[in-house]
Amino acid sequence: MRESPRQIFVLVASFALLAALPWIAGAVGRPDLVTLGSQACVMAIAAASLDLLMGRTGLPSFGHAAWLGLGAYTVGILAFHARDLGPPWDQWAVQAWAVWPLAVLVPAALAAVIGALCLRTSGISFIMITLAFAQMFFFLFVALKTYGGDDGLTLRRRSTIPGIAPRDDVAFFYVCLTALVLVLLLLRRVAASRFGTVLDGIRQNERRMMAIGLSPFPYKLAAFVLSAGIAGLAGALHVNLFRFASPDLLHWTMSGELMVMVVLGGLGSLWGAMFGAAAMVVLHAVLAQWTEHWQIVLGPILVAVVLLARRGLWGALGGK
Amino acid sequence: MSALLEVRGLAKRFGGLVATDGLNLDVASGEIHALIGPNGAGKTTAIGQIAGEIRPDAGTIHLAGQDITRLGVPARVRAGMTRSFQITQVLMNASALANVALVEQVRQGHSFRLWRPAARDERLLAPARAMLERVGLGARADVAAEDLSHGERRQLELAMALATNPRLLLLDEPMAGLGTTESAAMTVLLAALKQEVSILLVEHDMDAVFALADRITVLEGGRVIAHGTPAAIRADAAVRDAYLGAA
Amino acid sequence: MTLLLEQLLNGLQFGVMLFLMAAGLTLVFGIMGLINLAHGSLYMIGAYAAAWATLQTGSFVLGLLAGLSAAAVLGMALEAVILRRLYARDHLDQVLATFGVILFCNEAVAMIFGRQPLMAGPPPWLSGAVEIVPGVPYPVYRLAIIATGLLVAAGLYVLISRTRIGMLVRAGATHRELVGALGVRIGLLYTAVFGLGALLAGLAGALTGPLLAVQVGMGERILITTFVVIVIGGLGSIRGALAGAMLVGMVDTLTRGFLPATLRAVLPASEADALGAGLSSMAVFILMAIVLLWRPRGLFPAHA
Repeated sequence: MRESPRQIFVLVASFALLAALPWIAGAVGRPDLVTLGSQACVMAIAAASLDLLMGRTGLPSFGHAAWLGLGAYTVGILAFHARDLGPPWDQWAVQAWAVWPLAVLVPAALAAVIGALCLRTSGISFIMITLAFAQMFFFLFVALKTYGGDDGLTLRRRSTIPGIAPRDDVAFFYVCLTALVLVLLLLRRVAASRFGTVLDGIRQNERRMMAIGLSPFPYKLAAFVLSAGIAGLAGALHVNLFRFASPDLLHWTMSGELMVMVVLGGLGSLWGAMFGAAAMVVLHAVLAQWTEHWQIVLGPILVAVVLLARRGLWGALGGK
Repeated sequence: MSALLEVRGLAKRFGGLVATDGLNLDVASGEIHALIGPNGAGKTTAIGQIAGEIRPDAGTIHLAGQDITRLGVPARVRAGMTRSFQITQVLMNASALANVALVEQVRQGHSFRLWRPAARDERLLAPARAMLERVGLGARADVAAEDLSHGERRQLELAMALATNPRLLLLDEPMAGLGTTESAAMTVLLAALKQEVSILLVEHDMDAVFALADRITVLEGGRVIAHGTPAAIRADAAVRDAYLGAA
Repeated sequence: MTLLLEQLLNGLQFGVMLFLMAAGLTLVFGIMGLINLAHGSLYMIGAYAAAWATLQTGSFVLGLLAGLSAAAVLGMALEAVILRRLYARDHLDQVLATFGVILFCNEAVAMIFGRQPLMAGPPPWLSGAVEIVPGVPYPVYRLAIIATGLLVAAGLYVLISRTRIGMLVRAGATHRELVGALGVRIGLLYTAVFGLGALLAGLAGALTGPLLAVQVGMGERILITTFVVIVIGGLGSIRGALAGAMLVGMVDTLTRGFLPATLRAVLPASEADALGAGLSSMAVFILMAIVLLWRPRGLFPAHA
């Protein structure tokens, strides 16, 4: 977990750049860059949470988008019903301090159930079954016409945060950036803890862990739940960023992209997930500007990354 | 002398192959009991069943009077029985110290702590260092497992098994791949352990077996063909035919 | 009663399609240890090539041939260029690289054929319906699919249990190194097995085309259902693939057919339809959960 001097330099520079992004966007006359930055932060949170599973615990979940989507819909659905509720619930249902924790808890609770099922399998079956369960939630939200079905659910206004105007995109960018920093610090702390050490051991040699008296299941499940909860937070930020949640957020391609972000950044490297997420968000934006058929470029890039660049962006920074 | 480990009628088939055929085995408290036999005699399958990695088709296993036949591997370790592996299973990119500290952490049972860093926790490191000293790896504590020599990794493997504080150690070929001097050192180490832990030893190195074992059980084709003191086994004609003569 | 019989046949027909998909996927996994997400893309390519050739030539048979050869040829090319490099990699790499292949295939198909679905109905000689029992008409084309699928299943059984190739396939699944040691040109065997899997996916796509709209994204929908089949049946097992496919085909078809109507008895029509649609699209996943609780390694685990 020791960062090299070059990695620390790049980290500091990246966060400085992010912190200054609104000024830079203003200076070059591209206010849309702020939204892009927020999006990168949100996806970085989701990717970092997935890295806890994939990179640290060795559980390649192909259904992570479900937790992102469930977090987003938790915020969206509560806001949707806010008008029907009497005081004080109608106010609480749109307050960030009330609904964002729920956007963490709802996916985490469902992940406890789904995870307990998925963790009965391992390896390739685990990949398939996480994908299948996530797709189940996707179909569920497509079928829920009350909440927009296919068309998605619009959030009338962002969750209320005291002191921040709901339409202030720059302020919301700083909310996302703060959340990202806090999540990364939390995950780094967890990685170095006794719990993180056990997850490391399970990834490297589960048989050995059992032979020293450790039952891996509760730890894997805890990692699954924690990771889902953090992805739920990313979902809450996502729905607030675009004031919109749609089943696309739970689609399996989103799960795939999150996996790509983690691997592109460097599996198990935590900070790497942030760079992987930022790279994907920027790549999307650039390619989409260039051609409507941007996926025809993205696909081969993915294949090349997998075949050629095993250590990811963060690993490449580390040298050696 | 009451039996610490009591195996009765253990049986396991893989398709048409009978790997274990009604195995009975006792390991007494404080003894080193060797399990020997030619390649394919079913030693590894037997150890796998006793350790809980392979589920037997029939038979019972008791540890200190407790029926552990249905318990999983981790539960058996907590009940006081730990195995070592023939092919070294350590966490390669962690240091020797970190490997043993992890065992210490699992033994202490506080692995759901998510906040304090584990790598500087003296409650884990102090006992881990002591254990490495004991197996003769004290000076190599901070070396990554992948940079240790084969012999040192065998010592680390033993240290990790010992760190679970077992009453019974199942050692699966602790001498595997060791040179003559290393084997001799390992023999001395195991002989010294005898004071505090009972050992079921699977080993091909006959010098080590006859130097260490209080009693020997000989397997062939999944069945016990002889058991007794080293002297009796040495004199047994059936054993000589099946095994020692061929070796 | 009539409706039930019809739905049972529909379930069988869907199950047969799923089996064609699952057989290829599970063979490739069992023998090469490869998880190929782009299997669904081969299905889509088979469907597109068949629909396009049928529309161009007016001949269903030529269309079918075009679908089969497009899927098989592209499948083997894919194996030779990309997938071969992934056999020794871990599953995660395989998933990501083949995910990239899907994105590429979907977009390429969209660029060539556009986003509008292609429609090519069944040929005249397979149109219409016959009475399977007096008073119950059933589309001939669907019966033809069922027959084809069952024939293929029987053919696969013979191939795997009776022939030298099948022996290698079975040996390859359990003793990968051993097959190599026997001096079999393993590269060739792998390409052949992959080609067979691709052919089956292409067949499924080409046959399904006339029943559904042929469109981008059709591959992933069936791919994920195929995963459910494989998890239920047991990874790497052809027998499991057959059992899983039939089970999933039936459960999916019957819940879609009967659940909304059943719910209408207790709920207002619009709500019943929405809830019914949601629940029936979740049904196979719930089935998967139940099977996993009962048998975590599927109904017929390959390496027990």
